[in-house]
Amino acid sequence: MKKQSAGAAIVVVLLAIAAYAAFFIAPTDSKQGVIYRIIFLHVPCAETGLVAFFVCFVANVAYVLKRNAKWDWLGVSAAEVGLVFTTACLVTGPIWAKPVWGIWWTWDARLTSTAVLWLLYVSYLMLRSLLEEPERRALLSALFGIFAFIDVPLVFGSIRWWRTQHPQPVIMGGPGSGLDPTMLRVLLFCWVPMLALMVLLMHSRYRLEAMRGDLELVRREAEAA
Amino acid sequence: MKNLNSVFAAYLMAWAIFFVYYVTVARRAAALREDLERLKKSMTHPVDASAAANRGK
Amino acid sequence: MSLLSNTGVLLGKELRTEFRSRELLTTTVIFILMVVVLFSFTFDPTSTDSRRFGAGLLWLAFLFAASLMLQPCFLREQTNDTLSALRLAVSDPFAILLAKLAANTLFLLVTELLMLPVFSVLYNVPVLPVLGRLLLVFFLGSLGVSIAGTALSAISAQARMRELLLPLLLLPLLTPVLVASTQVTAGLLDVAPFMQWKGIGFVATFDVVFLTALWLFGEYLLEE
Repeated sequence: MKKQSAGAAIVVVLLAIAAYAAFFIAPTDSKQGVIYRIIFLHVPCAETGLVAFFVCFVANVAYVLKRNAKWDWLGVSAAEVGLVFTTACLVTGPIWAKPVWGIWWTWDARLTSTAVLWLLYVSYLMLRSLLEEPERRALLSALFGIFAFIDVPLVFGSIRWWRTQHPQPVIMGGPGSGLDPTMLRVLLFCWVPMLALMVLLMHSRYRLEAMRGDLELVRREAEAA
Repeated sequence: MKNLNSVFAAYLMAWAIFFVYYVTVARRAAALREDLERLKKSMTHPVDASAAANRGK
Repeated sequence: MSLLSNTGVLLGKELRTEFRSRELLTTTVIFILMVVVLFSFTFDPTSTDSRRFGAGLLWLAFLFAASLMLQPCFLREQTNDTLSALRLAVSDPFAILLAKLAANTLFLLVTELLMLPVFSVLYNVPVLPVLGRLLLVFFLGSLGVSIAGTALSAISAQARMRELLLPLLLLPLLTPVLVASTQVTAGLLDVAPFMQWKGIGFVATFDVVFLTALWLFGEYLLEE
């Protein structure tokens, strides 16, 4: 518990430093003004979500091959945490778009792909909730998780191609495109607290799942006795 | 400064999402820990449970 | 050769089972027909608008139909408890999946080809000049839908609320197929038809990637 609190404290400090850097160190954008500072939150959220989904993918493959419940616990933790970061990305995107473009949603390629990603992993969690037997649930959700993750580059690629056919306002050019070197440095730095937060959230979610596993074992022992 | 409110709103909403998730997980973990303790106690002290049942008779 | 011959035999079984009753094909065709007719109420079906929205309408109708049509794929085996018999009968479990996805692709293609002239007449969109290229995108798209659908049907058959679960799992996964196939079809239904090979590339890539994934992980789908 002490380790957990210390970890949480470190993450809060890092987030505060990142916010300071985003507001006071990064220069103001000449075109968008102060609103562009959402980039230091929006992009790290999106990228951390993808990292979490990658961890989920690795855990899924490991479960299918090794059948150790710990991989299943890691998989569901990573998927949920990934979904949390993706939600934050999808919430901050429209808050950015509205003042700049006057509309909440522009069907921008990146945001649309992120919305599909969100739906994919919501389906993953729905599937888990509808499978009762723990080993079946672990195996079948792992297999779906594998299919979902290999779909991700195809989703992003096809939607980006679709948008080149029908250009729409782009919320942001892309990480690094047209970014001042200081802005880029701040952006990269802001990713660090997000990754730390991801680890913290995954760790607490994993412990919850591990406890569930223990509870299941104890219940089975009690029934056998 | 124009749009500063939107920037604050974005940061607050994102942090709220993370905070709510963290607290939800912590609460579920605490409840589960209680269940686990209760179940373990009932398994290690079944005598207490049957003694209580006999006193009722 | 063993994989191909096993697949051939199982494919024959799938086709015979379906053509005996033709329930699946009939209900799927009628469902797509209903969707096509109902869609006409959502926009003014002039020839210009039909060319703009027709591709999307067609592919959405195909996707909805597929998510219904794929339900019995593994449910049938579960109800009659024939999956274990099938697994014992073949040396490579991939043959079972290959046969099912081939059958599903065929059924989907048949329903799409039956619907195409109806769509063309109802919405005033000529399809004969581009029929060959339309068939290519229909085939690749249907293959993608069947590959993903067969895998997910095996998963959802073992869960609760399977009728709702299959579309829930399938539709987001098929986004690349929907996006790319719709774009290619829209290009072909245009006043000046043109082929978008990049879109064909996306659908073909989806097919190859998912077929490979099915080959690598398919045996675990059929575990009991």
